[in-house]
Amino acid sequence: MIRFRRAACAAVILLSAFMQGCGFKDIDKRFFVVAAGIDHTNNPDKPYRVTLRLAIPSPKAEPGASKSQLESIETATIAEGIRLLKGHVDKELDFGHCKVVVLGESLVNSDYTEALTWMLRRRDIQSIANLAVGKPSAQEVMSVNPPSERYPGNSLFLSFGTQGTDSPFTIQTYLSDFERRYMERGLDPFLPVIKRNQTTYMISKVAFLDKQRTKLTLSNEETQMYNQLSTKFQKSSILAMYKGKPIVAVLSGIRRSYRIEVRDGKPIIRMKVRLRCILEQAPRGLYNEGWGPIEKAFEDQYSARAEAMFEKIKRAGVDPFGFGLRYRATHTGSDATWSRWVKLYPNAQFEVRTSVKIDGTGLIK
Amino acid sequence: MNRYVVYNFIMVSLLNLMLFVPSILFQYRYNGAVSSLITASLIGSLSGIVYVHAMSKFPGKGVPEILNERCPRWVSVPVLLFLALMWVSTSSITIDVFAILINRFFNPDANVFVILAVMCVICIYAASRSTLSMLFNIEMMLLLNVPLIFLLLMKAVGSNQMNWDAIRTASNYAQTMPKLAPVAAAAFIFTGYLNMSIYNRAMPPNYKFKRGLLLPVVGVGVLAISYFVPIGLHGVDGVSTYLYVWSATSDSLAMEYGFIERVLFVFLILYLNLTLVYTSSGWHQAMEMVKGCFPKYKPSIDEHPIPRRNYVIVSAFAIITILALYLLNEKHLIQLTSIWLIVRMFAEYGLVVWIVLLSRLRRESA
Repeated sequence: MIRFRRAACAAVILLSAFMQGCGFKDIDKRFFVVAAGIDHTNNPDKPYRVTLRLAIPSPKAEPGASKSQLESIETATIAEGIRLLKGHVDKELDFGHCKVVVLGESLVNSDYTEALTWMLRRRDIQSIANLAVGKPSAQEVMSVNPPSERYPGNSLFLSFGTQGTDSPFTIQTYLSDFERRYMERGLDPFLPVIKRNQTTYMISKVAFLDKQRTKLTLSNEETQMYNQLSTKFQKSSILAMYKGKPIVAVLSGIRRSYRIEVRDGKPIIRMKVRLRCILEQAPRGLYNEGWGPIEKAFEDQYSARAEAMFEKIKRAGVDPFGFGLRYRATHTGSDATWSRWVKLYPNAQFEVRTSVKIDGTGLIK
Repeated sequence: MNRYVVYNFIMVSLLNLMLFVPSILFQYRYNGAVSSLITASLIGSLSGIVYVHAMSKFPGKGVPEILNERCPRWVSVPVLLFLALMWVSTSSITIDVFAILINRFFNPDANVFVILAVMCVICIYAASRSTLSMLFNIEMMLLLNVPLIFLLLMKAVGSNQMNWDAIRTASNYAQTMPKLAPVAAAAFIFTGYLNMSIYNRAMPPNYKFKRGLLLPVVGVGVLAISYFVPIGLHGVDGVSTYLYVWSATSDSLAMEYGFIERVLFVFLILYLNLTLVYTSSGWHQAMEMVKGCFPKYKPSIDEHPIPRRNYVIVSAFAIITILALYLLNEKHLIQLTSIWLIVRMFAEYGLVVWIVLLSRLRRESA
């Protein structure tokens, strides 16, 4: 028995001898791709331009100390382009830390599906990578080197999520979310738009896409409103004109619910929005006036703007809010339900009813 | 001793993710998956309670002894061999799939067979121990891993990426009739009680299972989570895109303040543990079934020293496992699993009915 056990031990040790050099490369032999950009070129032989931002490992981590290398290549297919790029660098490329993928404006305006499929098939691109549109091109966005960056790519992905800045104009979408919206009938994808602005980024708009390309880009104010209504993003503000002067209030609570009613073959989407807010910029002396008229002004103007925004989205033929999915969720499950909604949606009417409650006027009267 | 029944039940139900159960269900999401879930929950929990109850009529005995006593040898030996095949195949498919998963996500440059071989060595060692050690092993591994697995599952349920409209849409497809393949897949979640076929030997003489209600509660909970959570995160239409749905699901969650941001890696390590303990348990039971075919075999729950035939039998299982991975590609593996789950379901309920009948006959004759 003991002899047998010894033999078994020897077998295990021998087996582990096969494990040496199983493709593991040390961290200093790797180039971490921190952001990737994909553009569409007008060259029919090489339709893609892949730009990678590679982090140069450095012992220091202080503002402005980040070093990175930019590599770019024009290629017929994305996958082969990446392989070719390996020839440009001396270390193994690793996508494990690629937290942002920027799709060039030219790419999302023509057809993004190829790029999406490629990202999903790669096992090392995280499903929680952020996607965005790069304006004017992904390469331009990638080449920005913000002076405040602590480590490579840091400022780009701190812009998304809640760890860094909490901008109400920045809507975040993960790769897995994008894929869901690409596949789902009744829920369309959206992407935040990153604009190059000298040495920094400007992320303040959202682009809505159908299952192939961009259909609509919202303005800054509309983006904020969309963010409030769809993700209930609280750290944001609302604006109203009151007696010819602008009043801005910062939100402290959002509640939103909606119902889809079909009347005479015409869908009416009734949305109820409840906002609580505190005044942030307003003329002096409002405290002693009745707050009712101010709330009324906020309510009317917010409803009107929201209806206009939904109308605009509807007319572009996209449905990022998921009205179609809600219709499918509340009706019998069948393909007929969906084809009915496809006919209904272009005639949809929006009725937004907002109730605004002002909690206070800030620190002064 | 109630807890050992529950451990086995929880282990198998959580493991369904590795056996493509969600993938098979998603194929039928527009035609019969939801009604199949309900059917499988009813059949599964009922047969679970009945079977554990029937087995407690045979104190200290496993299925090999019962069959050998009550049936002629030409009946019992082929049946036992078939049951052994049943346990070996599910555990071998699981470990094969996991070897592929490790190869995909952890180390794509390594040879998948080396990974599988190392896992097999661990399982050979664990499976060849005595029944009692195996039970303790299951207990320890579950106590270490299940709380974290539940944490991840709950994180997925509470994620802000979750789209409840998609889940409602999926449940709207409930009016279609159940189909065989999804019922068989969903019924797998409830088969943990079947491990009592061997582990009943370790139960005390006057033992009675008192936690019958736990089986449907745990089973339905795990079933609902493994079906609806991926739909909520990947959408009704998009969920069948993914080959390894739950790996993709855990990858679409982020723990910004966790030690590891990608939940995927935590998830894979937890499931690695679960897979190893499940495979060893499956091989151990198959080994006991095979040993029950020998005419002079006396079962014992605490063998010491370990007889050589344990190693021989389990090593044979390991070789079958490695050969299976060599011969099948990923597509065949999924197809095979889908067919196998159906065969397995019929075998399972056949065994349950048989044992229940035997326990009834015994009571009447006594």
